[in-house]
Amino acid sequence: MYLNSIKPKMRVIVAYLAIPVVVFVFTVFVPLVAALFYSFFDWRGGPNKTFNGFVNYSQLMADATFWASFRHNLFLVVMCIIGQIGIAFILVLMINSKFVRCKGIHRTFGFFPSTISAVCVGFIWTMIYDYKKGLLNALLELAGKGDSAIVWLNEPKIIMWIVTIPLIWQFIGYYMVILLSGVAAIDTEILESAEIDGATAIQRARYIILPLVKNTLIVCTTLCIAGNMKAFDNILVMTSGGPGYSSMVMALYGYKVSFEQNNLGYGSCISVAIFVLALAVIGGSQWLMNYLMTDKYDRAEMKMLKERDKQARERMKALRKAKKGGN
Amino acid sequence: MKKKMLSALLSAAMVATLLVGCGSTPAPAEEAAAPAAEEAAPAEKEETPVAEVAANDSGYTGAISYMHFSTSEEAQGNGGSESHRAAIESWIAANPDIDLQQEVLSNDDYKQQIATRAAAGDLPDVFLLQGMNTIAWVEQGLVLDLSDYITSSPYASKYNMDYLVPFTVDGKYYAYPVLTGGTCTVVCYDEAAFKAAGFDSFPTTWEDVEKANEYFKANGYDYTIAFGNSGQWQMNSCFLSCLGYQYTGTEWFSNILSGNGKSAFTDAEFVAALTETQKLFKDTGIFNTDFNAINNEEAREYFLAGDCPAFIGGNWDEAYITENMDGDLVNNLKFAVLPQAADATKYEKFQNIGLGYGIAINTKVAEDPAKLAACIDLAQELTGPVFADYVGANFALGGFCKADFDLSVFDRVKQEFYNFQYVDTKGCEIYDSYVDGSVWSVLNTEIQEMCNGDKDPATVAADTQAAYEAWCK
Repeated sequence: MYLNSIKPKMRVIVAYLAIPVVVFVFTVFVPLVAALFYSFFDWRGGPNKTFNGFVNYSQLMADATFWASFRHNLFLVVMCIIGQIGIAFILVLMINSKFVRCKGIHRTFGFFPSTISAVCVGFIWTMIYDYKKGLLNALLELAGKGDSAIVWLNEPKIIMWIVTIPLIWQFIGYYMVILLSGVAAIDTEILESAEIDGATAIQRARYIILPLVKNTLIVCTTLCIAGNMKAFDNILVMTSGGPGYSSMVMALYGYKVSFEQNNLGYGSCISVAIFVLALAVIGGSQWLMNYLMTDKYDRAEMKMLKERDKQARERMKALRKAKKGGN
Repeated sequence: MKKKMLSALLSAAMVATLLVGCGSTPAPAEEAAAPAAEEAAPAEKEETPVAEVAANDSGYTGAISYMHFSTSEEAQGNGGSESHRAAIESWIAANPDIDLQQEVLSNDDYKQQIATRAAAGDLPDVFLLQGMNTIAWVEQGLVLDLSDYITSSPYASKYNMDYLVPFTVDGKYYAYPVLTGGTCTVVCYDEAAFKAAGFDSFPTTWEDVEKANEYFKANGYDYTIAFGNSGQWQMNSCFLSCLGYQYTGTEWFSNILSGNGKSAFTDAEFVAALTETQKLFKDTGIFNTDFNAINNEEAREYFLAGDCPAFIGGNWDEAYITENMDGDLVNNLKFAVLPQAADATKYEKFQNIGLGYGIAINTKVAEDPAKLAACIDLAQELTGPVFADYVGANFALGGFCKADFDLSVFDRVKQEFYNFQYVDTKGCEIYDSYVDGSVWSVLNTEIQEMCNGDKDPATVAADTQAAYEAWCK
């Protein structure tokens, strides 16, 4: 009775929920549907557009620059999963160790870079990579390797590595904070008993912590993939996708096609492709993560459980059938 | 408590470091296709006040929306923008019954915003039209035909009609060229350094520049000419668009513009211009090694710092250099056109100059004749004698409307740059003021690879031609 009296009326709940739903629909759903709609048009801006069916999509399939950009995005995704989440995981283990002092400071400062705008990060790293006054070449000079100084941002063969490093640097702290919350939820008694049983730090990380933060890792990986499939701003600042197309990524290519080439129809088509490809990569990665995180014993157990479920269902079915026949 | 103090101190130090880092970063690159001149600071002479604009007799009393990029920041040391703002103020004062609603954005933001609004069919009443968008926007019916108003303007006799070319489609004019006509390609050099290298002025051939380069490298300089192309447009606007004319002459680009099929980017003479560009940047060592990784703003700092005796950029760079130079450079700064390429058969003292933006009027305005008359008046005054006299008398710059002013009252550098731009050289077109962004986007991107030696000129030409043909369709 008391609970019913404080429970809000259904229309109040609906009204409150309607606000975020409307915001979501207008900021995510409507643009997505609009992009899908415009992707079927030859549209150079302005009120006139011509329906051209799947011409933009067939052009996309043959567009070598777009697929090269997609490969660059995949490179970013792989490197950032290893660099951002991998390093973040190691740092979390280090911070959680009993030998580390001032854990709060480590957490706070680790998170700092992810609060800086990507454009600023791009500028900061552009200064580090600068040929004449950059930190990197200055360090090489100091180390007596002045001859190895190169124009870092004009090297097509390594440029993707060069633009990936700032991204990794920026978001390590972000994933560190997420993973810390996951690791903090692990009962310390489990770790202590493992330690008493003689498990090394690496064994504890591999066989206890990693499986227990599996879901957190999946969230981190999903965020990492989603973030890197739409990487844009710091690459725009550092290289504009250059030299040539060497560091072009899908979102930057879509922007250039839409606003430099005034081809909004094809730009919309690229946006739709980014969405579809990002979903596919996220889905694939989640399956892979689940597969990798489950060892052969777990898999055998799951298989056995599924088999047992199946047998139980069949028994129930047969029982119902027999009951029906008896009646 | 100590930990908290330490955290606060470290946080403050980090934020301060970041702010310093961000504060010292260079501003984003300017668009070369914007011949909207970013000009030098006023000479050390008394400022001539802006003249009063006559009130228009349209009888319109409502609002007019006007979108442009002459921000107060841009107007600092930029004669064109400052004069534009002065002319706007004068027009507002003369028309108190009209509510001029200005939307003023930085140049980069403006280009994106106006493109988005054009795409949505939601352009302001009056706006700045970039030359390269003219054909596409006219085809979309977004821009009003202003031919009759321009030819019957009370200032028509003073107009420099050549500046209308980027805004002309099928013989009709769609915008009043605005701001100031400024060169996109000028060699700024230290005359004393070249005299020491055995040249009385900047060499007139690239072979001589290579000879001078040997001297400079042996005498403490890293290279001869600073250039920045990280924004990708600089190589087109501030180099190729001028060097190309040495190979193709004037007719080739006229054919490209008209789309009559008589010229193509794959023509031997244009490919030769690309080949020469590749050779100069990749093989000769004349230019700074990091030309593809820095922008024009960083490159001009190399010149100002004395790392090299010359720099190639546009009028906006000249304005910055003039304002910030010190030491011997104050007396030794001189200007030159690009040297002649050995196999260029159509060489003249080319420098590409024009007005990349024009004041255009939304077609929807025509539905209200009184409002249209007021908009026409605004466009006429912002490009007419009030603007021209002010920018000429204060900055020694010229625009769409000719102005009479006494050049002798300006300092040496201003006088010489005026003569360089308007008297002593042959003007040619700025490639990317015309045609379409889809073509230049391909060319600009691939030139970067070409100058690294990763793409050959013939391929770049073929890809550009393919983009051009797609656009022509």
